[in-house]
Amino acid sequence: MSGETEPARTFVASAVTVGDDLPAMVVRLTRPDVVRYSGASTDLNPIHYSDRHALAIGLDGVIAHGMWTMGTALRVVTDWCVDPARVVGYGVRFTRPVRVPDTDEGVEVRFAGQVTAVADGVATVTLEATCGDDKVLGAARAEVRLD
Amino acid sequence: MPITSEHAGRRYPPTRPYRVSAEKIAEFAGALGGVDGGDPNPAYGGERPIAPPTFAAVIASRAWDALFDDPDLGLALRRTIHADQRFTWQRPLCDGDTVLATLTIDSVRTRGRLDWVGVRVDLDTTDGEHVCTATSTLLHTRPEEDAA
Repeated sequence: MSGETEPARTFVASAVTVGDDLPAMVVRLTRPDVVRYSGASTDLNPIHYSDRHALAIGLDGVIAHGMWTMGTALRVVTDWCVDPARVVGYGVRFTRPVRVPDTDEGVEVRFAGQVTAVADGVATVTLEATCGDDKVLGAARAEVRLD
Repeated sequence: MPITSEHAGRRYPPTRPYRVSAEKIAEFAGALGGVDGGDPNPAYGGERPIAPPTFAAVIASRAWDALFDDPDLGLALRRTIHADQRFTWQRPLCDGDTVLATLTIDSVRTRGRLDWVGVRVDLDTTDGEHVCTATSTLLHTRPEEDAA
């Protein structure tokens, strides 16, 4: 976690081109990971740990935080551009919930990104987050400063 | 008393100052992942850590309380869904920043029992430096008796 053994990464801002694919990422998420995000974010909504509360509002069970999905998706961008301080804007729509079953396996969420615009020293990365066949984020775009 | 478009423009007093700490940054970065661990980006550790960009939501969400505590609006957290979220940053939040979150209602649209409430939270340091703006659309379902 400290990054001490991380290989040196490089990011050549001048080489960023529309159509560049960013390395994709698959994250396996279990109930303990959701509880960890609840504590870290201070979002203690019970639909993120209690099936009873989730069912009461019409969900099929405990779901991950939308902000977890948003924040974890951005790792595709910050792993690529190395310095998170380059991120100057980021927006998403929360289209579908990520249901997290109470199993050791949990659920897999896949994240991918592509450079879809480069203008005025800023690259726009369009992100995708999918869980099974569901797109769980819509219109997910991050703006990355290139200078 | 339900929320209406007349409430657009309403601005609330800032939240109590929030102190960004290296420990909370590490805890938050450690939660951005799954069974294989959190986000190992070295920027979130070391001598002067910066916060992961979406850490801004931890502070911004404190300002949302004003909305649900305002008796004029009739909003309830349990009937509210986070529909979209956007951030713009002037710079990253850093260990040692002391931050105030100020909430403004930008827009209100209502159809039947549904209210789309656009809110903006400005994050500024106690020294007056603007750091981040977080804008959200909250989708609120009215209790049946309040249908417009």
